[in-house]
Amino acid sequence: MISRRDMLKTGACAAAASVLPGPAGAQVAPFAPKPGSWRDFEVATRLDLPANGKAQAWIPLPSMREDEWIKPGKSAWETNALSAEIVQDQKYGAALLHLVFKDGETAPRVEVRSGFSLRDRAENLATKSAVPALGEADRKLYLEATELMPTDGIVRETAEKAAAGKTGDLDRARAIYEWVVANTFRDAKTRGCGTGDVASMLRTGNLSGKCADLNALYVALVRSVGIPARDIYGIRVAPSKFGYKSLGTGSDVITKAQHCRAEIWLDGYGWVATDPADVRKVVLEEPPGNNTVDDPKVVAARQVLFGAWEGNWLGYNAAHDLVLPGSSHKVGFLMYPQAEVAGALLDCLDPDTFKYMIKSTELTA
Amino acid sequence: MAVSTSGAADEFRPWPAETAPALVLSQLDGPGIDLAEFRGKPAIVHFFATWCAPCIAEMASLNALAATGKGGPAILAISVGEVDSRVRNFFRDRPVAFPILLDRDRGAMKTWQVEGLPTSFVLDRDLRPALKAVEPLDWMSPLVAAALAALPSTSPKSNRGEKEPPP
Repeated sequence: MISRRDMLKTGACAAAASVLPGPAGAQVAPFAPKPGSWRDFEVATRLDLPANGKAQAWIPLPSMREDEWIKPGKSAWETNALSAEIVQDQKYGAALLHLVFKDGETAPRVEVRSGFSLRDRAENLATKSAVPALGEADRKLYLEATELMPTDGIVRETAEKAAAGKTGDLDRARAIYEWVVANTFRDAKTRGCGTGDVASMLRTGNLSGKCADLNALYVALVRSVGIPARDIYGIRVAPSKFGYKSLGTGSDVITKAQHCRAEIWLDGYGWVATDPADVRKVVLEEPPGNNTVDDPKVVAARQVLFGAWEGNWLGYNAAHDLVLPGSSHKVGFLMYPQAEVAGALLDCLDPDTFKYMIKSTELTA
Repeated sequence: MAVSTSGAADEFRPWPAETAPALVLSQLDGPGIDLAEFRGKPAIVHFFATWCAPCIAEMASLNALAATGKGGPAILAISVGEVDSRVRNFFRDRPVAFPILLDRDRGAMKTWQVEGLPTSFVLDRDLRPALKAVEPLDWMSPLVAAALAALPSTSPKSNRGEKEPPP
């Protein structure tokens, strides 16, 4: 059943703008991402596949383009594959590098380097502006159910309860955000970023997991009450400049730093950044760990991550239920490198066996 | 063997379907399996995933049921939407005494109208729908044992035209 023992108290946001204590008592900036200068990065993804039969691989490439916060750049690769081509999925526009290795290749390998630019984002939710309406095709796309994110039955019932008494998309989406933050928890034992089987989570009452579970739950709940939303699958690429160790990378090796974030569409604001899963990450992981819900770092994260996020995270794409080109295998989302050897999909959550390594570099002029 | 399934339910709900869907799937590290081959004894068709925490406790409970001896139902556990190697690694640490089937593309889950994991179906010895559970079950509970024991030995429909056994 859902545990409410650590339910967050509403109205406890006053500390959000306070200055957070940093390492050794040093003071760091308050958690207040704001659109500013762009930062340029390069991510290098290296795959070395087992030579056990014919191999194929699929590597996500930066394909989100939003003038407010992300600009994808060029990708280049070195490989001994028979063929290597960029393929773009028709439904979501997700780009990937598809590689086919010759049967008998003794050491299938590839290294892809992708450039992109990021910056912080923050929406002023106090004031609407003249944002063009979301196109009808996108509205339909970002309201629809996916295989793992149904929008009817227990999902809609849960969302209606969470948003009860609220009117308007902004207040309803915020109420559902608060519900997710209050009722879910991050489980360190979850492999990778989780699976995101929303119906199973709600039906068993086991609302634990990681970002692909918790943010998928948020997206499904929001969609179910008629507010467009999308889960963006990506990877953290830099430390947090706001002193949040749990919300940034620890080194330039980011092989296990995958993370997804949620956006909601609000008329008059456009796509709005949210990340309820990262609030739960701060609760569990921000040193010293297992923080209380009224810890200033948790309170600040909870307030900020509805409307803003830091530009230290690359969003690859917002695709779901993707059939890998040239294969019969389908993935619920494309956040990890994927590979198939002798017809069997490798375990993308086991990079040491797979194997793959991802590195991030900030490019400075 | 004592198995803790804290929070698990111990009651089935009716499965009102007229017939059970077909089920033919690959087996983890074994030949493909057709549910039809199990006609003649009750069968449990159990949908699960290795990432699903409640499924892990229930899997131990199912294995305890399997260990109770001959005459029990056949058990078919179906991993939904997972990579073979991930399932293989999972059962390397937690071996079970029944086959693990692979619903790689979630096709069987859809056909069987499974809305969440875990979900279990119980079929009688004629493979007709009998019982269903849409939440984790304690398979060693007395109520579950009683429900399994009460499954009809043959369904009324398949009895038609057959002679009564001699007294």
